[in-house]
Amino acid sequence: MMAGIEIGRALRSSITGCVVGCRVSQLDAPEFGGMVSIPLDDGSKIFGLITDIHIDDDGLVRQLVTAENISSEVIEDNRLNRNVPVEISVLFIGFEREGSYSHLLPPRPPLSLLAIYPCGDREIGGFTSAGRLGYLRHILRAVDLPVAEILAAHLRQAGAIQNKNGNGDWVEAATRELITLLRDDYATLNTVLGSLADTHLYLQGGSND
Amino acid sequence: MTENPGMEGKNIGYIVGGGLRESLRVRLTVDPQEVQEGAFVVVESGGWSFYGLVTDLALGATDPRFADEQSEERLPAELAKLLHGQTLYTTLEMLPALMMETGPEPGSPAYMEWANAHLGGDEKVLPVKTIPSHHAIARLARSSDIAQIFGAPGVEGNFVVGTTREQDLAVCVNLKKMIQRSAGIFGATGSGKSFLTRIVLAGLIHNDLASTLIFDMHNEYGWDDTASDTNTKVAGLRNKFGARVRIVGLGRDNTVRGQTPDFYLEIGEEDITPEDIELLSRTLNLRETTPTTLEALQQSFGKSWFHEFSQMKVGAVVEDENGKKVPAADSVAYWANQNGVNVAAAEGLRSKLSRVFNLPYVVSGQMENALQTIIADLSAGKHIVFSFGKHESDLDYLLVTNILTRRIRETWGKRVNEFRSNPGKVKEPRQLVVVVEEAHKLLNREMASQTTFSTIAREMRKYYVTLLVIDQRPSQIYDEVMSQLGTRISGWLGDEDDIHAVLSGLAGRDALRGMLAHLQPKEEVLMLGWGVPMPILLRTRRYDDEFWKELLGKETEKKSPEENLKTLGY
Repeated sequence: MMAGIEIGRALRSSITGCVVGCRVSQLDAPEFGGMVSIPLDDGSKIFGLITDIHIDDDGLVRQLVTAENISSEVIEDNRLNRNVPVEISVLFIGFEREGSYSHLLPPRPPLSLLAIYPCGDREIGGFTSAGRLGYLRHILRAVDLPVAEILAAHLRQAGAIQNKNGNGDWVEAATRELITLLRDDYATLNTVLGSLADTHLYLQGGSND
Repeated sequence: MTENPGMEGKNIGYIVGGGLRESLRVRLTVDPQEVQEGAFVVVESGGWSFYGLVTDLALGATDPRFADEQSEERLPAELAKLLHGQTLYTTLEMLPALMMETGPEPGSPAYMEWANAHLGGDEKVLPVKTIPSHHAIARLARSSDIAQIFGAPGVEGNFVVGTTREQDLAVCVNLKKMIQRSAGIFGATGSGKSFLTRIVLAGLIHNDLASTLIFDMHNEYGWDDTASDTNTKVAGLRNKFGARVRIVGLGRDNTVRGQTPDFYLEIGEEDITPEDIELLSRTLNLRETTPTTLEALQQSFGKSWFHEFSQMKVGAVVEDENGKKVPAADSVAYWANQNGVNVAAAEGLRSKLSRVFNLPYVVSGQMENALQTIIADLSAGKHIVFSFGKHESDLDYLLVTNILTRRIRETWGKRVNEFRSNPGKVKEPRQLVVVVEEAHKLLNREMASQTTFSTIAREMRKYYVTLLVIDQRPSQIYDEVMSQLGTRISGWLGDEDDIHAVLSGLAGRDALRGMLAHLQPKEEVLMLGWGVPMPILLRTRRYDDEFWKELLGKETEKKSPEENLKTLGY
């Protein structure tokens, strides 16, 4: 994800997460499982993971779909000039205040129309190194979310940055923590491990992309 | 010497459960193959060190499906390993036996206060009375732990009998304490009992802790022998200790392994009591009328009953003045009629006792000279190996060992009473250890009340005589006698009853049961009981040239004439 570029603004939020609206043109930036930050007015930042990117239909699109021979200009125009924003669901995993990272849920949700940004390497490295991987419990607690895929995407992103920072044990530590948290939930653990296996993080000499 | 220095003191896991009555449970943090049943383990917690023995290892899983499924085939190897590390585990059971206060962490503020309170005092090892906390770290023992509990090698009184299996750390036994009560060496045939007995006897003789009277049923201990399985030479006690060890043969002209004994012993007819014959009931298939007949014989003839009975004839008749056949005056029937004894019973007994009457080493009179020589030698600190030579039957063994031991014990008893009446004037009797093989033949339920051996076992050290029993069927030894045995050293046992017998009367026996069946024959023993602070599984010392070099090493240095004479037993 390209750091620093606004990817949308908050539509609605709670303590555990929020929904961000964005234009189609902003869709290049956010990735499923990617880590994002929401700077607050008091100088603190909320961190979250993208758990869904949702493109709803509107009345015009529903009509166009049934039409014959839709021109490319019409398609392009409808994509760019939508009435209904693309919605990005974000699960909160912690926050930063006065230079210190916390893996607890933020004390207050963000207000509407606050901007959301993808996290840079420094933020990802700093947040995931702080504490003892406690933020993973927020992901595991989520209901109706593809938890295994979220974890796989997150570990792949964070693992690459940790490796670059010389912390090659991070992926193993995170995996171990996940196993500890899930060892009484056989089905979920199996699914998570299957996803992690598909990330190629554990291939012999595997790449961490 | 530590064969595997990496294992000494290595942390192996942490406490997850258990208690005093059951064993403590330890979750292993190392591969299960690094720890074996019988390992000596230490747990430190709350200012105490807890010492115990591994009695079981078991596999477990947080969910049985993790154990059932071979996830290493589904997941990358590294990931599978991480998964197994968290979901599959091994728990070991540790039987806690002893504990010792070690105080607070050195360097901590509380430590100085504790150290001052314990200044100059010896650290006391206690039977375990409490338990370590959850997650206290368990580790394998260090040499310092072994030395703390069992004594350090090289210190006087400590005799190395073997080493721990994992770390090859020397384990000592205090032989002086061991012989204060009767002891037993057990193990199935071929498990190495005789070699272990030789090691213990060598230690006793070398350290001059007691005199030993060894009933050498199979002529193994005196002279050099050859191991039946490896055909290698096995050093004899006489060959190594010289004239300190005397070989006594049973009967005149009885050689032992082709060598002539120092002197021989013959049993006098007047030494044999009716009780000695009753002891042979099963061997001679005597009837229940035997005690009555024997009582009558003793009433009639006193001390010479045996000789007189041997002279009587069965079925001898004469014709009276009427021509009627009547029992002859020298017949059994005649005597029986005269004394109101059932004739058939008496004649039957006479026939069955022919085997005893015909024993070549049973002679008229008494065995005083040889017996006095034996007693004198034992009192002077020498050791007697009583070899049966060609007389290897159960009859020979039962008859001779009981008679001889009874007479020696009587002598010792008299001396002890004299000593106790005049402690200043009379010399304290020498401790005597009577070594008995095939003990179940003498100490089974039937005979236990009749033999001198059971009396000795029950008396403990009261009369300065204790037993060292060597047996492969401890289940056949009377329970009451077994319970009197202090130290027990056992090799491999396969029979459940034998295992139960060896462990009878000891705390934690259920936990130790499996261990006896898993011992490696000829290599490993379990040592437990009164003479050792806690049960311990050992790899026994090899009885070889290296053993003798270590034991007698000092004796190869040049000695003074006085020292040489002492070595020779003068």
